[in-house]
Amino acid sequence: MSGKGSFNKITFLIVKEKMFSTRMLLMFPILLLFIPGLAWGFSDPNIILPGGHRPETPMEVLFYSSLGIVFGGTMCAVLMSFDGVSKERASGVLEVKLAQPMARLYQTLALVRGTAIAVIVPVTILVMISIVIIRYRMGVWPELMDVVVHIIATGLILTWYTLFTLIASSKAREQGTAIAFGVGIWFFFTFLWALVTSMVAFASGISIGQESDQSWIALEGALDLFSPNGVYHHILESRLPNIQRGVSGWQVGIMAIAWTILPLWILARRMEDLVP
Amino acid sequence: MAEVVLQLVGASCRHYISAPLLTKPWRKILGPGIAKIDLNLHRGTILGLVGPNGAGKTTLLRMLSGILPLQKGSVFFSSKQDGKTIENELTTSIELRQIIGHMPEQVRWQGKKSVLDAMSEIAAMRGSSEHRILGLIKLVGLNSRIDSPLDELSQGMRQRLTLATALLGSPDILLLDEPFNGLDPVAAQAFAQLLQKLSEKGVSIVISSHQVSGLIGIIDRIALLHRGQLLIEGEINSVEKELELSDRFDLTGTSQPPSSELIEKLGMEVINSNTDQDIWQMQLKGDAEGVLKNLISEGINVESWQPHAPDLVEMLCSSTGLRVEDVGLEITSSAFLPLVQREVEEE
Repeated sequence: MSGKGSFNKITFLIVKEKMFSTRMLLMFPILLLFIPGLAWGFSDPNIILPGGHRPETPMEVLFYSSLGIVFGGTMCAVLMSFDGVSKERASGVLEVKLAQPMARLYQTLALVRGTAIAVIVPVTILVMISIVIIRYRMGVWPELMDVVVHIIATGLILTWYTLFTLIASSKAREQGTAIAFGVGIWFFFTFLWALVTSMVAFASGISIGQESDQSWIALEGALDLFSPNGVYHHILESRLPNIQRGVSGWQVGIMAIAWTILPLWILARRMEDLVP
Repeated sequence: MAEVVLQLVGASCRHYISAPLLTKPWRKILGPGIAKIDLNLHRGTILGLVGPNGAGKTTLLRMLSGILPLQKGSVFFSSKQDGKTIENELTTSIELRQIIGHMPEQVRWQGKKSVLDAMSEIAAMRGSSEHRILGLIKLVGLNSRIDSPLDELSQGMRQRLTLATALLGSPDILLLDEPFNGLDPVAAQAFAQLLQKLSEKGVSIVISSHQVSGLIGIIDRIALLHRGQLLIEGEINSVEKELELSDRFDLTGTSQPPSSELIEKLGMEVINSNTDQDIWQMQLKGDAEGVLKNLISEGINVESWQPHAPDLVEMLCSSTGLRVEDVGLEITSSAFLPLVQREVEEE
């Protein structure tokens, strides 16, 4: 079997194991509720959001529904990968794998790819169902480019959380620490980042939460680049009209690359030095 | 003597351990590990790697399998091409991993994954074919469990699966870390026979264990490891002779034990003796020829007479000059003591 063939085979086996695991079975109803459920709610013709806003285009509905991905999808990525390394390390299987001639880098890449795909595939299927729901409720299909950007951005955020959690898993010698680390990162970026933004704003003398205050919007936009959830929303906002948060497309692009490459590099280095 | 297939020259690998200071909380120092080992593995022979807990057996096996890097030293591999022996220095761990099959101690395979999928994943990392996977599963007796989830395997079955993964890629050298743990006697015997077959085919096998007795009859050579250092290595008989542990016999009998004068007259030496009610036992050292016959003719009621196989403690005591109590304490504390005598810089 060629090197590429072996790499794909390992990825396939990891996807098969994780996608049909009990954990995914438990997560799937939650994802169903969070992704198509939110799409159903936000595409209601009579919905009025806090602040009096009403989603008018399919992309706007997809944007609001992305909240389900930020909460449910990323949590699913954490739960699927928290023991990606630690479990095999504790059981001795990792030692068997590390004794094989395949380079550790490729083993790591196969693990990341396999784990991320196991989360991305069901989430993407649910996003597709959401699109059909939006069409049914609003009578309009989203533009092809909107769908492509949404799926790519979703794939990226799920990959980032997979990477963070796998790094935690490679550091932790037992499952409890690995899950605490993974959930901790998820909690920090999902719930506590708003607090970080508020504190920086307060320290900078900017009024907190003033939507009409340009300096608040610019600060929030800039700080969002340092959060994976923020970059995710920046990418989605690129398909929404009349959004100006003082952040250029190239900045978002660079940060998306950084959020992908940096954790991958840390994980690869970590795996290279790992003692089973 | 069989030709050398792998040569380890001055190989060292020591673990870093945390030694925080107030000013340097991240400080790490060199801890226990393997220090400057020279070891030759011979083609078609089985080497027993013995040593107490914490001696460095697993670390040495991990170094040999390319899992842990060599901090110092070199590895040379001899292969045959067109009838000529070619010796190459292996500079990367991947080169080492290509020729070595490694069976770690007590791998707990778990999950819903099937035996076949678990094997396929490992085989993909080695580039082995489907045909080879199925053949090995059959060889280790897991054919009826091929589609069973890993969670349903017993410890013995897990050991067999680990052995199958170690045999993927037809390795020249097979490293087995405590392979008999968890195997029932029948499986252990079948396993030992399989090892014999592999060694007859030219595979060099290393078995690590802390019990010498379990290895007698399986191994051709023995290496004694203690505190990360190789104390002695060679064929079992020559090691026994060198450690002055050869020509010893265990003798048991009833009623009157032989007197020390009689033993001395027969050219034997009493190592130890013990009497419990009517039964006595002795350990004798010396040339055994004619001794048993003479004892019986002297009216001594001998119940059993058998050569004494040395155990690990005897070997350690003999090679280090320490007493049993000291060796015992040494084992407990060795992992935490600085290895000053190894002439390696500690930090």
